[in-house]
Amino acid sequence: MPTTLIEQFGNPAIAIATGVGGVMTVLSLNALFLIWLERKVSAWIQRRMGPMEVGFHGVFQTIADMLKLLGKQLITPKGIDKPLYHLAPIVVFAPVVAATSLLPFSKSVAISNIDIGLVLIFVFGGFAVVGIFMAGWGSNNKYALLGAMRSVAQNISYEIPLILSALAVVLMVSAVGREVPIDGEIVALNGLNLAHITMAQVHWTWFILVQPVAALIYFISVLAETNRAPFDIPEAESELVAGFHTEYSGMRFALFFFAEFSNMFIGAMVATVLFLGGWEGPILPGPVWFFLKTYALIFIMMWVRWTYPRLRFDQLMTFCWAILIPLSILNLLVTALVIKVVQS
Amino acid sequence: MRQSAGPTLERTDEADTYYLNMGPQHPSMHGVLRLLLKLRGEEIVTCEPVIGYAHRAHEKMAENRNYIMFIPNTSRVDYLSGMIYNIAFCQAIEKLCSIEVPERAEVIRIIACELNRIQSHLLWFGTFLLDLGGITPFLYCFDDREEILDILDRVTGSRLTYAYGRFGGVTMDVDQDFLVRTLAFVKRIRSRFPMYEKLVGENVIFRERCEGVGVITPEVARQYGVSGPTLRASGIGYDVRRAEPYGGYDRFDFEIPTRTAGDCMARFEVRMAEMEQSCRIIEQAVAAMPEGPIGPKKLVQRLKPPEGMFYFAVESARGHFGQYILSDGSNTPLKLKMRTPSFSNLSAMETVLEGTMVADTIAIVGSIDIVMPEIDR
Amino acid sequence: MSPASATPVSLDGLLLESADADFAVTGFHRVHSASVERIGDVARAYDEGAYLLEMITCEDRREDLKAMRLVYTFNRFAGDLDRHVVTVDLSGEIPGAEAPSINGVYPAANWFEREIYDMYGVTFSGHPNLKRILLPDDADFHALLRDFGRMEDAES
Repeated sequence: MPTTLIEQFGNPAIAIATGVGGVMTVLSLNALFLIWLERKVSAWIQRRMGPMEVGFHGVFQTIADMLKLLGKQLITPKGIDKPLYHLAPIVVFAPVVAATSLLPFSKSVAISNIDIGLVLIFVFGGFAVVGIFMAGWGSNNKYALLGAMRSVAQNISYEIPLILSALAVVLMVSAVGREVPIDGEIVALNGLNLAHITMAQVHWTWFILVQPVAALIYFISVLAETNRAPFDIPEAESELVAGFHTEYSGMRFALFFFAEFSNMFIGAMVATVLFLGGWEGPILPGPVWFFLKTYALIFIMMWVRWTYPRLRFDQLMTFCWAILIPLSILNLLVTALVIKVVQS
Repeated sequence: MRQSAGPTLERTDEADTYYLNMGPQHPSMHGVLRLLLKLRGEEIVTCEPVIGYAHRAHEKMAENRNYIMFIPNTSRVDYLSGMIYNIAFCQAIEKLCSIEVPERAEVIRIIACELNRIQSHLLWFGTFLLDLGGITPFLYCFDDREEILDILDRVTGSRLTYAYGRFGGVTMDVDQDFLVRTLAFVKRIRSRFPMYEKLVGENVIFRERCEGVGVITPEVARQYGVSGPTLRASGIGYDVRRAEPYGGYDRFDFEIPTRTAGDCMARFEVRMAEMEQSCRIIEQAVAAMPEGPIGPKKLVQRLKPPEGMFYFAVESARGHFGQYILSDGSNTPLKLKMRTPSFSNLSAMETVLEGTMVADTIAIVGSIDIVMPEIDR
Repeated sequence: MSPASATPVSLDGLLLESADADFAVTGFHRVHSASVERIGDVARAYDEGAYLLEMITCEDRREDLKAMRLVYTFNRFAGDLDRHVVTVDLSGEIPGAEAPSINGVYPAANWFEREIYDMYGVTFSGHPNLKRILLPDDADFHALLRDFGRMEDAES
């Protein structure tokens, strides 16, 4: 079992400070890297070079951009709802930090180890919608409002298949992890504990092999939850200019941008934990495997984004309610049935 | 936005509806079009296109200068098919003043115009996909398009706003290298068509977004005077190159691709098929390139047009481009009216867009291929 | 292409003058002129013959004809090309020249008529939305009138 920070430091205050600091560092470095990667991947797909000027193959381009954004004037439009407008970037960003702190990066490294980690992750994921709607409502801009309305409808709809497909995994963990030896003692694994989900896969097999349908539904739903193409409808620039963050500039915009990339990161990390065996892998240490799998998933997300056109809003909703949700319910029922049959 | 919107934007007279001002500064508006949308949620109740932001008074300029001085203006009317407009004006004046054009000049003009047409369609293809959210094809199209611009740049000296035509011919002769590169380009673009078809035409999301969207019926097309690929996608095989052949087009063998669905997908297919037909024309023209002069034997010193009304039409990349000239016998027109295709095509939008979604608006307006300077003139 | 015999449009009694034109020279098959009262009927006749309205434009002929002249061209998709031009002379007063709108027959006329109003100041009665289209809404001139001035005047 991973040792948590509180166990290591003893003092909760120091543990929290270290945890938040650590998460912020990871997230910042990750965002810097992901933005550079996104630009490079898009460039390769489009037969371009991408950023080449700042540093070797432009690796410091994002830092230069960040400095530019820091120096920008924060433009506040007239007629806004001030508290909502100013709070929105924070409400969107804060859950990302909280959610990251729940994930087990390796067998021995985790910031916290909570028995209902999976539930908490989805709770924090749901928070972002509130922030997005605050941004859209508070901006006093029709495009922003339209983008926010789309975003709320989309995120709430896609949370259902997202959670249903994760539930199939939870069932599996409880079924295969009744008697697993951990650190010399036999324990029954808890399906809602992220570390336990990984342990179950270490003990048995990766869940993507036994739950391919759930994995696919989960991946599609994550694309929609993080507003990535082809589901980037809330910020479809050819229709809604920039969607809910149309009226944000400078660092306020950067926070949204930061949150978007971090959400993608979290989505991929949770998918790694649920389906790809988390930290498991030969030779290399646990965290390396964990991040390798995560970035492989993120690369696929980018690949999809730069290849497909965007769905229309009603098509997106039909896809969710008419295909994904029935399919995930069916998958859950079949999983439960099979487990029942095998167990009896 | 609020200040310039005017009183009409403040509140609609109908319950549950609001106005959305799309453009003239909007990332996916082609040029400076403004769509005044009355929306119920995301559904469009009425749509009023507002134009005129790129008006440069070309028709007024034509009345104030003689015919030859107007040549550079023509390619600026529609910068995407500038060559076609430029040549079309010269052809109109040649017909008006009965100036003979040597055969070699005619063939060169056809090659240049068809290259220009492919270039325009390629740009349309890229931006249309951009409107639908597919960013990558845009770069691929520009890669191909760049080759055409380079080829034309070599002989004309311009990349976009050509002044290549002269009354009775063209300004510069083409060399062997031009012909070789043109044929090489035709080969290259042909090898790209299957990729475009596979990457875009067969893409499920693309088809979902295009099929059955923005249907223009043949009757609506006639009432609004819709022309060009947009018309041919509605099942009417009207092409000026075939209906009233000009500039030697009757010597070449090509088809007029049509589709009957009249939706965005049909317009996409028609344009893709048209590029192939343009390639065929170019191949035949290169093979049939005669030797000889590229301009009139005696330099046209002073134009002596007859008096009266005169009309000359060509097929631009967007449709029927007509020039109505009223001449008083002097070398300055009393009136030059340019009947541009997108003007009529866009005016049909008020009917077509009703009842669609905001996302469809972008797709439909994108699919009719408008160029704002051409509409505003 | 022999235009006159193939014409499926019955324009009897609607026109002031009518003549064949040499398509190879002028680009028109037939040249008509109509009175301002009958232009609606003329448009309806063309519509019944499944013709399309290619364009409407205007000429400032106040110097030689003491009139503003509207020019309508009709054509058809189906069958042979058959381009007709119909001219309509209006009183030469600007403002004051008025013609009935044919927007009800051909929706295409909507924008053409607005453009003529914008550029020449001719008004169209019965037009649903007669306002400026290319020039700014608050412009106080009609740019294509011949006495509006040459471009050099504006520059200096």
